[in-house]
Amino acid sequence: MQIRFAGIGGQGVVLAGVILGEAAAIEGLNVLQTQDYSSASRGGHSIADVIISKEPIYDVIVTKADVLVALHQLGYDTVKDSLKEDGLLIIETDLVRPDRDYVGAPFTRIAEETTGLALTVNMVALGYLVAKTGVVKKESVEEAIKRRVPKGTEDINIKAFRAGFEEGSK
Amino acid sequence: MRYPFPVGKSDFIQGDEAIARAAILAGCRFYAGYPITPASEIFEAMALYMPLVDGVSIQMEDEIGSIAAIIGASWAGAKAMTATSGPGFSLMQENLGYAVMTETPIVVVDVQRGGPSTGQPTLPAQGDIMQSIWGTHGDHMLIVLSPSTVQEAFDLTIKAFNLAEKYRTPVVLLTDAEIAHMRERVYIPNPDEIEIVNRKLPANEEEAKLPFGDPHGDGVPPMPIFGKGYRTYVTGLTHDERGRPKTVDAEIHEMLIRRIFRKILDHKDEIISYEKFMLEDAEIAIISTGIVSRSAIRAVKVLRERGVKAGLLKLNTIWPFDFEMIEELAEQVRKIYVPEMNMGQLYHLVKEGANGKAEVELIAKIGGEVHTPIEIVEKVVG
Repeated sequence: MQIRFAGIGGQGVVLAGVILGEAAAIEGLNVLQTQDYSSASRGGHSIADVIISKEPIYDVIVTKADVLVALHQLGYDTVKDSLKEDGLLIIETDLVRPDRDYVGAPFTRIAEETTGLALTVNMVALGYLVAKTGVVKKESVEEAIKRRVPKGTEDINIKAFRAGFEEGSK
Repeated sequence: MRYPFPVGKSDFIQGDEAIARAAILAGCRFYAGYPITPASEIFEAMALYMPLVDGVSIQMEDEIGSIAAIIGASWAGAKAMTATSGPGFSLMQENLGYAVMTETPIVVVDVQRGGPSTGQPTLPAQGDIMQSIWGTHGDHMLIVLSPSTVQEAFDLTIKAFNLAEKYRTPVVLLTDAEIAHMRERVYIPNPDEIEIVNRKLPANEEEAKLPFGDPHGDGVPPMPIFGKGYRTYVTGLTHDERGRPKTVDAEIHEMLIRRIFRKILDHKDEIISYEKFMLEDAEIAIISTGIVSRSAIRAVKVLRERGVKAGLLKLNTIWPFDFEMIEELAEQVRKIYVPEMNMGQLYHLVKEGANGKAEVELIAKIGGEVHTPIEIVEKVVG
């Protein structure tokens, strides 16, 4: 499965990709994660790709995404053509105006309401994605979050992830 | 020995990180470098890990100083490594030749990015293939390895140290920005699962007196270590078996240089590593190295589905080069394609190897993206 996260710098798009990848690795799946970002640390587009498979992975970049998680219009516009025709589009509904069928929620608002921090938007979106696709287990992601986020922020990130998961399970 | 990262289990890490961990497990205890994208993460990891394994990681004034420092460290008995990218690798060329001439085991990692000059710092390329082989001046022989996955980056780093130690030679690990920065699941073995080779030391004073001789007949002289009791000369000038400069004696120069070639070429079957995919009945061969090999494997599968008898030869070692194997393959197949992320480098080696027995076509791609499998397929089926 090819999953692509697209947003802008500062939204934690790459970390979301890394954590999803780590969760797949924890489950013993083959996984490849790459990223592409403009030189701006904030405000430029930011893309993270994750390819997960039981088979060996030869692809290096996402060519035809099964899932696109768009957190910002800039990221969406940059890579929207890479989503398969029958692929799943997940969007941050406050920040992306899509031109095709989609699912989604106001992830940033949910983040603020749940943790008080808009920057946990990446974990909310990740939770939503995992609930919608079942690509990895919830528990694997929570383990991956513990390994990858800065020390002391594990609980807040898991809280945001669970809020997104709950929203995606509705 | 405790390691500053988990061993005996899989981890999800970048290529640069895998190279650093492999170096530590191979016994590297001295790293000198100068930061440069996309190799900086190797340095970052080494700066973190080295103090925890009683090793040294030092930032030098530039890449010339970096390779000089690891050559010195190697003569002091440490397994030593530096890592850089194209611009830094260019600066290292003079001392790379010094390491060849003084038969100093070192590992030099070149994480290729788009060039020439500062080019495309964040994007992958394969434009340094010829430079890694021929970048330094004069008649020389060294070893160049090239991984295509993060796991191979790990495995070939261990191999690079082992070959450097075994043959008393610099080894270049030629990778690229894509492998450097992508994360994959990698198995980090327990130390007892890895074969580690250490350099030959002089068995006695007689051997120690001939640090550039050939007492064992394999072309590889034992290497005395500075501070371990022997007086040793080390010079980049042409030298005799004792290491003394002899700069106008044709016979001594020839004996030295021919031995430096022989010690590697006589063992090339052990040094050269490659993998064959679906080549048994192939009529079309793709020959590739590094990151492009992944797209090439997929391309072969797609071509087979379309009824084209295609196969892949993936080169893990690019120097020394097995010209005879390429000629044998050329006798079997109708045509050979060489996809690479440059304007044509490996292509020329393959063409020389094919020796006119099969047509060889370059599939060049530059600009910073790896060939897609379909780009390769379309070249083959037109």
